[in-house]
Amino acid sequence: MEKETAEQLFEEDYVDQMLDDKIKKINYHHNVYDVGKVIQVKDFIIYANGLENVSFYEKVNIDNKAIGYVMKMESNCVVIAVLKQTDKISIGDSVYQSNEEYMGEFSTDALGRIIDIFGEDKLTNKKYQNIIKLKVEEDNTPIMERTPVKRPLFTGIAGIDLIYPIGRGQRQLIIGDKKTGKTQLCLDTIVNQRGQNIICIYVAIGKTKKEVKEIYYELLKRNAMSYTIIITAFYDELAPVITLTPYYALSVARFYMLQGYDVLVCIDDLKRHADAYREISLISMKSPGRDAYPADIFYFHSRLLEKGCQYQNGASITILPVVETTGGDITDYISTNIISITDGQIVLSSKNFQKGERPAIDYGLSVSRLGGAVQEAEMKKLGATVRQKLLSYLETRDVYELANVDEMSKELQDKIFEGKKILDNLIQYKFSPLSKQEIINKFVFLGEKKDG
Amino acid sequence: MIGKIVAISDINVSIFADYPQEVKIGDILYAETQSKIYRFEIVEIKNNTITTIPFSSVIGLKRGLSVYPLKKGLGIEYSKEILGRVFNSYGELIDGTVINIPNERSIYNRHLTIADINVNNEILWTGIKVIDFFSPLSKGFKMGLLGGAGVGKTVLIKELINNIYKNLNSNAIFVGVGERSREGKELYDEMKESDLLDKISIVFGQMGDNPVSRSKAIYSGLTLAEYLRDEQHQDVLLFIDNIYRFVQAKSEISTELKRVPVENGYPTTMASDVSEVEERINSTDDGSITSFQAIYVPADDLNDEAVQTILSHMDGQIVLDRKVAEKGLYPAINIFRTTSKLIDIDKIGKEHYDLVSSVLKYLTRYEELEEIIAVLGIDELSSEDKNIFYRSRKLRNYFTQPMFVAENYTNIPGKFVKINDVLEDVKNILSGTYDNIDESKFLYIGTVKEIL
Repeated sequence: MEKETAEQLFEEDYVDQMLDDKIKKINYHHNVYDVGKVIQVKDFIIYANGLENVSFYEKVNIDNKAIGYVMKMESNCVVIAVLKQTDKISIGDSVYQSNEEYMGEFSTDALGRIIDIFGEDKLTNKKYQNIIKLKVEEDNTPIMERTPVKRPLFTGIAGIDLIYPIGRGQRQLIIGDKKTGKTQLCLDTIVNQRGQNIICIYVAIGKTKKEVKEIYYELLKRNAMSYTIIITAFYDELAPVITLTPYYALSVARFYMLQGYDVLVCIDDLKRHADAYREISLISMKSPGRDAYPADIFYFHSRLLEKGCQYQNGASITILPVVETTGGDITDYISTNIISITDGQIVLSSKNFQKGERPAIDYGLSVSRLGGAVQEAEMKKLGATVRQKLLSYLETRDVYELANVDEMSKELQDKIFEGKKILDNLIQYKFSPLSKQEIINKFVFLGEKKDG
Repeated sequence: MIGKIVAISDINVSIFADYPQEVKIGDILYAETQSKIYRFEIVEIKNNTITTIPFSSVIGLKRGLSVYPLKKGLGIEYSKEILGRVFNSYGELIDGTVINIPNERSIYNRHLTIADINVNNEILWTGIKVIDFFSPLSKGFKMGLLGGAGVGKTVLIKELINNIYKNLNSNAIFVGVGERSREGKELYDEMKESDLLDKISIVFGQMGDNPVSRSKAIYSGLTLAEYLRDEQHQDVLLFIDNIYRFVQAKSEISTELKRVPVENGYPTTMASDVSEVEERINSTDDGSITSFQAIYVPADDLNDEAVQTILSHMDGQIVLDRKVAEKGLYPAINIFRTTSKLIDIDKIGKEHYDLVSSVLKYLTRYEELEEIIAVLGIDELSSEDKNIFYRSRKLRNYFTQPMFVAENYTNIPGKFVKINDVLEDVKNILSGTYDNIDESKFLYIGTVKEIL
């Protein structure tokens, strides 16, 4: 090899140096292809120009002040939904792309703890060490990979296990006004899963910090946290976090399902979830439909709840979504949407609650579309009898409300007496689960009378 | 290459095309990244900007990607082998099978002229008492199935598939539009178990799928039904569960395309979208397509724009009612609002016609009496009213029926009841022949003979 001249050396060094500098600069400041500037700030929606290379749903960082994801790309700008913000965002702030899809962060250490979508332990405010990245929204489980829902999931509540049973892989809505015991039903169900090899996930959407902490202690006190994860998006969190959290929770559920676990997910509640989505939609100028919800509000919930399934590997995801109503009206838009997605609903009525019926289930309005298919033979037979007698009694009670019982036919008197007894036997206070056998024993009188 | 992607949102991808004259609306384009192929259908062309809707999630898609033409429009492969197979909305098999030596047709645009349509069709008995009595149907009929959520619509559809197939030996097409994946898979499994699978083809665009998929399922299903009618000369049964979801999917797409909506966020093109589909469902000299179309009623509002638009195409309607379901009476049909064009003295004969009027008269009076009784008690009624009251309750109970497909829920074997038996029983109940039989014995029976 020829010896290089000084001139050549100089040139090569110079060029190398120049290139290095440039690359350093590019790496630091990026360029219009991977970096953008904020041009508009609208609550938690940010518009930025540049970012030519960014992809849909990519995670972006806004000048270390905030992180968000790309929710829309237009020809001259990118629309970003902000998830976490530590400082005010100003016009001109740089937006850096990350070259990766926005992922939820999770850790298996979160079992027994309270975690959020960012992989932070809410009890200590520290991020977990061994983080697993999970897609916020996994693909829908293909229809041909599903198998029939038929194994029971016992809630320990006679009115549910007997009359409107829940199966593993079922989606059963819990719906009712404020203070009718919706959350309590979820907690009762979770507590009753002890020793069943089920992972429970309680998703607190738009709850206050105080409420979440109380729930945590309730479960902890009853040794239910050892198999439970609380996933939370607090009331004061940004709307995009609230909308993503249930999806993230179902990705966590899927993570466990693929390992062969049965998973129970309680989502409390979807009305708040819908409202957060409406907030985003209206701020990003989607045209409003019924009740000002966007046209895709149904899809927003249907694709979420369709993630509940009995999977071909034998594991399952059971979902108990909660919806809060006002004035006992279950025919409003969001409620009927969700009712038309789920496999049934447990309706809680404040009238029954005031009458002292616990749980305050309205047996006339509640439904299970799977019914006996998820019950074992004995429960199924007894359940069908109890349900029919009870519904028939409730109807008779309404028709003959003002009639004098003493003047009724013997048959009718018996029916009313029996109905009352069934209703009394269904009363059950919180955190006092009944086993299958205990439930059967309670209603055995129905069979006895027939034989006699 | 057609052009490059310039804007992306959930279900709207804009492409800047150098030669827009080379493509037309309905064509399919594709773009490729390292990990995925994305497909789009063209819905609008404006100068050089092509607006498309993507077939699946656009997560990971970037601006600037090149887009290529795939083929001319959506088509479906078919041959005699379609029976027993499951397709997705885009006409692709999803059960892991293939069709050998297929033909292919486009899924769009097969209009019938008035000369093609045959209107002289015979009556088709379903074996379901309440339907045959109050709302009989004929070949080529379009029957709407209405009802709020959770009142047993899908069970009724399954029962109809079961009964009419056994009766008529015709093949059926089931199109699942925006309904539950679990139910779709169960339908498939149940058909397989009862050896009916080779009599039916299924198309699924279920509620976990994006709106583009949900809006296309119906076209693919129709194309299969038309094949059976036109080339196999069959009397085809077409079940659409649920036609409302088609309009819903269209309105989600329309919103994303920033088109101006009408009332409640529905698309301006709603009426033409619905008639495009409905006008293809007809009888010709080659064969007939008899359709049952479940119509979901949002927010329990029957005056909903979309519901009314769909109803204007129906020949009859069966209305399922939550109030009836609350009383434990299934099928929960509201007979006052259930109608059929065939309730006509020329078509069903004088006896049937007269019985329908008498029953309606009785039950109307019964409703009034119920209110009186709630205040005054039964004893205050005249003996004539007492007869009406007790016989109406028997009639009401008599029109419940055990279903073949609900056997595992009700534990009562299903019953197929001939219309002549129904007429006979109704006549006898009205004339008082059964006055001394307890009303509850009439619940869930086939004919009265069973309890005599």
